[in-house]
Amino acid sequence: MPPSQLKRLKASLREQGITGPQKSKKQKKSNAGGNPEQKARRTAALAQIRESFNPFEYKTPARPKKFDVTTSRPDKKNAVGRPGVSKSLGEETRRKTLLPEMNRRNKVGGILDRRIGENDPTMSVEDKMIERYTRENQRRKGASIFDLEEAEDEEELTHGGRALDLGIREREVEDYDAASVEASSDEEGQDVRSLKRRRDSAEELGEEDGEGDVGKPERKKTKAEVMKEVMAKSKLHKYERQQAKEDDDDLREELDKDLPSILAALRGHLNKPQPKAAPEEPKKANDFAINPDRAALLNGKEREVADKEYDARVRQLLYDQKAKPTERIKTEEEKAEEEATRLKKLEEQRVRRMRGEPTEDEAPLVEENMEDDEEEYESGDDAAEFGLSAAQNTSRPDGVDDEDDFVLDDDLVASDSEFDDESSNDSDDEENVADKTQDLDDEFLRDVLPNGNGHISSAPGTGAQTSKLAFTYPCPQSQTELLRILDGVATSDIPVVIQRIRALYHPQLHHENKAKLANFAIVLVDYTVYLSSQTTAPSLALLETIIRHIHSLSRTFPEQIARAFRSHLQQLHTSNEPSPGDLTILTAISTVYPTSDHFHQVVTPAITLMARWLGMSTPRNAKDLTTGAYIGALCLQHQRLSKRYIPELMRYTTVALKSPFATSDLLDLHIKNLTAAADLWASKSAFLEIFSPELLAVVKDLKQPKALQRLQILLQQSRLARRPLELHHHRPLPIKTSVPKFEEGFNPDRHYDPDTDRAAANKLQAEYKKERKGAMRELRKDANFIAREQLREKKERDRAYEVKYKRLVAEIQGEEGKEKNAYERERRARKGKGGR
Amino acid sequence: MSKSTPEAEAVIVKWLKARYQDYVEVLLELYLQNGEEAEQSTALTLLMRLVKQDLQDEDDKAAKKTLEKLVSRLLLLPEGSSTREEFGEKYLQVYDDIRFYTFEAIASIFSSHQDSSSLPLFTTNTLTLLSPLTNPPTTPSSITSFHGPPPPSKSHLLSHNAHKTTAQTTWLALLRTPLTPAHRKTLLTLLTPSILPWLTRPELLMDFLTDSYNAGGSTSLLALSGLFYLMRTKNLDYPSFYPKLYSLLDADLLHSKHRSKFFRLLDVFMSSSHLPAALVASFIKRLSRLSLLAPPAAIVVVVPWAYNMFKRHPACTFMLHRENHAAGYVDPFDMSEADPTKTRAIESSVWELETLAGHYHPNVATLAGVLGEQFTKRGYEVEDFLGMGYKTIIDAELAKDIKKAPVIEYEIPRHIFTSEEEGELSTLGTLMGKVFESR
Repeated sequence: MPPSQLKRLKASLREQGITGPQKSKKQKKSNAGGNPEQKARRTAALAQIRESFNPFEYKTPARPKKFDVTTSRPDKKNAVGRPGVSKSLGEETRRKTLLPEMNRRNKVGGILDRRIGENDPTMSVEDKMIERYTRENQRRKGASIFDLEEAEDEEELTHGGRALDLGIREREVEDYDAASVEASSDEEGQDVRSLKRRRDSAEELGEEDGEGDVGKPERKKTKAEVMKEVMAKSKLHKYERQQAKEDDDDLREELDKDLPSILAALRGHLNKPQPKAAPEEPKKANDFAINPDRAALLNGKEREVADKEYDARVRQLLYDQKAKPTERIKTEEEKAEEEATRLKKLEEQRVRRMRGEPTEDEAPLVEENMEDDEEEYESGDDAAEFGLSAAQNTSRPDGVDDEDDFVLDDDLVASDSEFDDESSNDSDDEENVADKTQDLDDEFLRDVLPNGNGHISSAPGTGAQTSKLAFTYPCPQSQTELLRILDGVATSDIPVVIQRIRALYHPQLHHENKAKLANFAIVLVDYTVYLSSQTTAPSLALLETIIRHIHSLSRTFPEQIARAFRSHLQQLHTSNEPSPGDLTILTAISTVYPTSDHFHQVVTPAITLMARWLGMSTPRNAKDLTTGAYIGALCLQHQRLSKRYIPELMRYTTVALKSPFATSDLLDLHIKNLTAAADLWASKSAFLEIFSPELLAVVKDLKQPKALQRLQILLQQSRLARRPLELHHHRPLPIKTSVPKFEEGFNPDRHYDPDTDRAAANKLQAEYKKERKGAMRELRKDANFIAREQLREKKERDRAYEVKYKRLVAEIQGEEGKEKNAYERERRARKGKGGR
Repeated sequence: MSKSTPEAEAVIVKWLKARYQDYVEVLLELYLQNGEEAEQSTALTLLMRLVKQDLQDEDDKAAKKTLEKLVSRLLLLPEGSSTREEFGEKYLQVYDDIRFYTFEAIASIFSSHQDSSSLPLFTTNTLTLLSPLTNPPTTPSSITSFHGPPPPSKSHLLSHNAHKTTAQTTWLALLRTPLTPAHRKTLLTLLTPSILPWLTRPELLMDFLTDSYNAGGSTSLLALSGLFYLMRTKNLDYPSFYPKLYSLLDADLLHSKHRSKFFRLLDVFMSSSHLPAALVASFIKRLSRLSLLAPPAAIVVVVPWAYNMFKRHPACTFMLHRENHAAGYVDPFDMSEADPTKTRAIESSVWELETLAGHYHPNVATLAGVLGEQFTKRGYEVEDFLGMGYKTIIDAELAKDIKKAPVIEYEIPRHIFTSEEEGELSTLGTLMGKVFESR
């Protein structure tokens, strides 16, 4: 048990030598005078003792430490707190920071520097000066800040725009002087002096008057007048604008006059030299070689007219072909090389698409798709992963098995078509590329015709026929319109007509032409179907030309034409009976679009439709067999590059070879398809299974030795090359580990959250909570401090008042007492006097 | 009519009964059998009222007799008769007692009607009439609806077992008649939803099902589900089940409209991991061979199924990966071998599935490509891939709008139908000309 408080106090006092054995009086006396050093030491020791004995100086933990544990970390929990010290520290800082702030509250002191830009480091000295000057001017002008007219002229005019009448006044004054002289010549000397004084005053007055004159009319202006002025101004502006517009119209009309000649040039005089109007231009320009403006002025033209002309010149120069820097003319080799690299690039892109790899600009899109894919995967539908989503299997009735309404979503397949290769890849100089496409098209426009030079009318072969053809046609927007146009036109002339329409409505000639031509392209697609479904077989050359036109138009209108094709495919899908028109459409698709793509918006449905027909139908007559042969050939044409396998074709060809309707002619066609297919798929690993012995037996029965031999050679080659599959040369998958994860130096106070985001969020939350608590505590302490200070001030004020009051009372009392004494004295004195 | 009634009265009653019978006959002959539809309907209503009256008078015999006559007439009406439909909807499916008596009636008709020429029509109509009856009563308390008055408490009409036995007798009587293949197929499709619930002893179907399964073709496919039911619930032992199943994998299977049903069951049959690898390999090889000529919708089922098989039977993965063989490997697989354990498919490779990775349809090709990748996925849900078809595949693509401009072939071909030489036609041109000619 520790000794009692008193005993400890005594002990510590003794230790410090404050108390000690009794001292004699002498000793005391000698110490009493004592050096101040000793006294100071004594007070310090006493303060220390007092402090150590004050139980409120220290804050001991609520529970004492239980065990001594050795750790590397400082023991925070059992540290001794010194609330008094920390409190006084806080008090001190508040006194330093908060108190001055408090005292300064509601008070304004010091001077604000409000000079413009003085506190803005971004402004240069010059800027500052300019800004200040304009501000000053504005202020001087006063109400005219809203005056839209530049008031600078006014500023320059020091006399408010009035004619200088100083001379006149001088004269007047002189006149007056003269009169005055006349009137009183005798008082000359005096007069001169007075005159001088008067003139001085008059000058002063005049100045004031002048100012008054300048100021007065402005002040007099009523609101109505101001409005009138504004209206007049706006009318003037309007008039000027109208004038400018009329000028533009004139210019346009002039241009329109030239249009026929341009059209004529386009119609076939493309290579003809420009009309002679051109040489005139430079001649004219020479006149203005120095400076058109000045030259015009020199010629005595009116300034306005000259300005207008100048503007026109500038505009002309701007649109002048000569203003552009021309590209160096390339040599033949360079051209060839460029063409080769372009083709190579396009081929590379095609191969990428064939493999179903994403092109460069598509990569992010595919990634997104992959994400979608994962989501789908999580949702548990396996088929959806491959774009074969089947949502409502569970609800399906048992009786119905196939051909349900399931959605096949191709979005997920990691392949899409890309943009028009030319426009997407060199997006930086798109204009250039567009030009190139245009060039290609124009080139095509020329050489679509048998006589490629573009001089249609002058071409000897076709001249006789085409001379009857009109040169201008309306752009057909529907099939009926096209048929009306082509009514009476010979079949061989139809390509010419189409070409003329394309040239007439070239997108560069008019902004509406683009829409018109798009419609025309769709009409052409429909027209091929119409042509093919006529009772008289159409000319194949004509069909071919139209398809090539559609191909060329597709470069400009890919989406519109693709939609047109797809709508025809939709029709075929519902009918499932390919008419010659459908076959033409399918052929057109196979040439217009790259059929080797892994996925293509138009080609994929087209080939699926063809395969479906091949897979589902059995030949019922010779016509079916012909159609089948054509579709088969077209399918093979589709796969000539990508060599993809079409099961339905093999099935159909086998059925067709066995068909009783097959004439030897038709059989030849199908055998041709069969050998073509064999050539195409000879490299397939299952070639031996595709061309099975049964199929071979059929060919043998049909007595087709040539085809049989070919097949046998291919089969033999395939047999010799056959190897077992080796598909899984993958790195072996690591075995999943089940060893628990141990944390080196585990700290129970730390949170080992594997989710980093969540951990960060929690950390932030904790920090926020801590900060909030701290801030609240500080604020509370601040409020206490303020209250305390205010109380102290109040008390001070009260005390001061009290003192003052007491002083006044004392003063009054003193005075009263004095007066009373005086009175008493007086009274006594009087009494004494009276009594005496 | 009791014994105490006087003779005169008895004569009258007898005469009245004869008239009553005449009336019934007239209704049946004149109106129900030969009348127009409105008349048939009226006759039906009247007859059913008579039956009700009979039942109320507790003259069950008369009621049964009338009903039997009515039913036999109804069943001889041509296919798709609305009157029979009306009978089914208004009475048979509503009243428990009518259903009971009708089953009895049909059973007795079948036993008396053996080999008559009208039997096929009779069977067809019976099937259409009875097929909607799918829910047999499971407890006595569920028998509540009666056309006549509620029967006394001990009556067999209140026992659900009596109902089921009657129905079973009828169905078995039907199965015993000589059946056309079409009837057999219909019966097999009806087996699970309509027939099996009524049977108290489904094992009685065993013979029927084994016969059907042995019949081959789509009949076998249909019999599979019934057999499977018996194997599962009644412990039916079917010798050489798997060879039989293997023989079902023929050229038509992947084009059949029962394809989805078959694959659903096949997935179940092959789900055991204790099957010999050689057998599984035969199934895989045969199906992949068949899928070389199959529509995309079938390939899309075969590939995930094969994946599951490879995953479940790692011994079969040699079919995908077999190293150290020189070129000129001879395929040991024997397609004509009927026993799936002896085909040597496990020594072969599935070149067919590898070839399908180059299928013309992008989705199918991608799916088939999975077999060449690492087998990280546990397995595919075959169910998700069922129920596709050309229509769904094409619809899905054509239904979407074009979001991006499609790629255009960069080169405009100089010739499509024409050939390099002047006046000549290319292959396509010649063919197109033939197409135009053949029109």
